[in-house]
Amino acid sequence: MPTLPRFLCLVVCLLFVAIRPLPGVAQGVPDVTLGVTKTAFAKIDILVGTLDVLSGGLAAVEAAAALERTLTRDLEYSGLFRVSSGEQPAPEGDLNFEFAIRGSVEGPLRDAQQTGRDAPTTVSLDLVTHPGGQLILNKQYRPLPDQLRTTAHHFANQVVEMLTGEPGIALTRIVFSRGSADRRDLWVVDYDGESLLRLTANRTLNLCPAWSPDGSEIAFTSYQNGLQGLFSLKTATGEVRRIIAQEGLNLGADWHHTGRELAVSLSRSGDPDIYRVSPQGEILHRVTAMPSIEISPSWDPSGRDIVFTSDRTGTPQLYVIDSEGAGPRRLTFEGRYNDSASWSPTGDNIVYATRETDITQLVLIRPTGEERRLLTDWRWRNCEDPSWAPDGRHIVFASDRTGAFKLYVMDVVDGDVRQLTFGDEPDITPAWSHN
Amino acid sequence: MKVMGMNPRTVLCFLGLVILAGSMVFATGCGKKPEPQTEPEVVVEPVTERIQEPVVPEVPAEPQPLVDYTRMQPSEYGIEDVYFAFDRYDLDDRALGVLTRNARILKDHPEVIILIEGHCDERGTVEYNLALGERRAKAVRDHLIRLGIPTDRLRVTSYGENRPFAVGSNEQAWAQNRRAHFARP
Repeated sequence: MPTLPRFLCLVVCLLFVAIRPLPGVAQGVPDVTLGVTKTAFAKIDILVGTLDVLSGGLAAVEAAAALERTLTRDLEYSGLFRVSSGEQPAPEGDLNFEFAIRGSVEGPLRDAQQTGRDAPTTVSLDLVTHPGGQLILNKQYRPLPDQLRTTAHHFANQVVEMLTGEPGIALTRIVFSRGSADRRDLWVVDYDGESLLRLTANRTLNLCPAWSPDGSEIAFTSYQNGLQGLFSLKTATGEVRRIIAQEGLNLGADWHHTGRELAVSLSRSGDPDIYRVSPQGEILHRVTAMPSIEISPSWDPSGRDIVFTSDRTGTPQLYVIDSEGAGPRRLTFEGRYNDSASWSPTGDNIVYATRETDITQLVLIRPTGEERRLLTDWRWRNCEDPSWAPDGRHIVFASDRTGAFKLYVMDVVDGDVRQLTFGDEPDITPAWSHN
Repeated sequence: MKVMGMNPRTVLCFLGLVILAGSMVFATGCGKKPEPQTEPEVVVEPVTERIQEPVVPEVPAEPQPLVDYTRMQPSEYGIEDVYFAFDRYDLDDRALGVLTRNARILKDHPEVIILIEGHCDERGTVEYNLALGERRAKAVRDHLIRLGIPTDRLRVTSYGENRPFAVGSNEQAWAQNRRAHFARP
C-alpha cells in the first residue's frame, strides 16, 4: 500500500528537478509540491538487509522475516527515510544509500524446544554505513516470540535517534473511542495499526481520552446514570477511578507535562469554562470565567499557556491564554467554526478542525496565528479530532472518507496519509501517547 | 386528583384533553398572567366524563394497579421532545408549545424526576457539539423552571452528536437529531 504514494512522491521530485532550472515556472509550483520536494530531498536512504538465520530452523526464519518487515515499516512510518528492503526493493538506481541495517537471528536451543515452552531468540542488529559497512550501532536482544515486534520497534527508535537526534515514535500507541449509539468503548492500538485492544466494557459512552505523560493513565469522559464525569483508567490493570464529576460537562482533559494537573472544561457554574484540576479531582484554578462556551483545552509543551475554543464572539474560535488566566488572545480569525486544537509537542505548531459548509477540515497554524495552512482536502469528507505524535511531525485524526469514521495518520511535513484502523464501527477522538 | 390508576389508554385520552384544555386556556387566557396553571382542573373534569364512555367496555372491572410513573420513560405518559434549528439553542413557538404541555404533565406527577438530554446532529466537532447539546438541554430546563417546575426535579446532560435518533447524512436525519430528549434518570 505505501508503494504508490511513494512512487508519486518520486515522480513529483523528478518533475521538480526537471523544472527547477526555470525560475519563472518554479514560481508557479504550488506550496504543497514545494513541501513534498523539500522533505523528499532531506530524507535518508537506508537499506534493510536480509537478516542471517544462524540456527533455529523455520521458527527463526519466520522471526527474521517479522523483524525485517516491522523495521522496514517503522523506518518508513517515521517519515524520515526512504527505505529499500528485501520485501519492497526500491527500483534500481533510485536511492542513494547512506546506511544499512543488517543482523542475525539465532533460534532457541534444542533443550528449550523440548520443554515446549516459548524460548527467547537471540537477535543481533547493526546499523552500518552503506556502502562501506562501518558499524555505527549494535544492539543485542533476547525476545520471546511475542516480543519480536517490540524488538524491531526499539531498534528502529535507536536508529532514528542516532541519525536525526529526534526520538522515534515506533513504540507509541493511540487510544480512541469506538462504537456507536449507546456504546462507545475505549480501544488502544499500536501506532502502526497492530495489537488492537479494547480497554472498557461499561455499556455507555466513553469519549475524548488523553494519555498521562508517562502513559500509565488515560483520562476520559464517560457517563454514570446519564451524567457526565471525568475518569481515569490505569493502563497496566484496566482499573477505572473517577477524577471529577461536577454537574454538567466534565470534558476534554489534557494532561500537563508534569502529570501533576490536567486542563479540563467544566460547566459547574452554568457555561463551560476551562479549569485546572489535580489528578485526584481537586480544582486548582479556574482559568476562564466567561458567559460563553470555553472548551477543548490543550497545553503548550512548556506548560505555561493553554489553547482552547471559545464562542464569546458568537462563533467558536481558538484563543491562547496563560494558565493563570491572564492575557487571552484570539488565535483564529479565518472560518466561522474552529475547534479541537492540539498544540504540537515541539511547540511550533497548533493543529485544529475548521468547518466550512458542513465539511470539517484540519488546519495547521503557528502559535502566533501566522502561516495558516489547510492540511486536508474536502474530497476526504470530514477530518476531525487531531492529536500529535511525540515527534511533532505526525498527527492522527478521524475521517469518514470511506463511510464510517476511521482513524488516519498524516505526516504534516510531506502530506503522506495512511489508514490506521479498519472495520465498520465508527472510531473517533484519538489521542497519541507521549512516548 | 392524580391520573394514577388509569390504564394507558385512559391516560392518553386524558392527555389529549389536557392538551385541548391547555390550548383553550391559551386562546382565552391572554392578558392574565399566572392563571393558566390553576385552571385546567376545572376544565378537565366534565370532559373526562364524556370521553371515558366509549373506552369503558374495554376496561376490566377489577381494580387497576397503581402506575409508577417514575419507572416509565417520559414519552410513555405524553412528554414530548423539543427540536432545534441548526447550530441554535433558542426555543421556537413550537418548542414553547411542547414545553407548556410537558410542564402541565409534570405538575400532575410531582413524584417524577426528569433527565433532559441535549442532542446535536453529526455536523461539527465532538466537543463543541457536547457543549451545544448542554445549552439546548439547559434552555429547556430554564423554561420549565419558568413554567413552575421545581429545579430539583430537572437534571441536565448532553450527548452531543453521539447518540443520534436517526441515521443518515441528510437534513431529515439531522433535524431529528437536534433535540432535547426527556428521559428517566
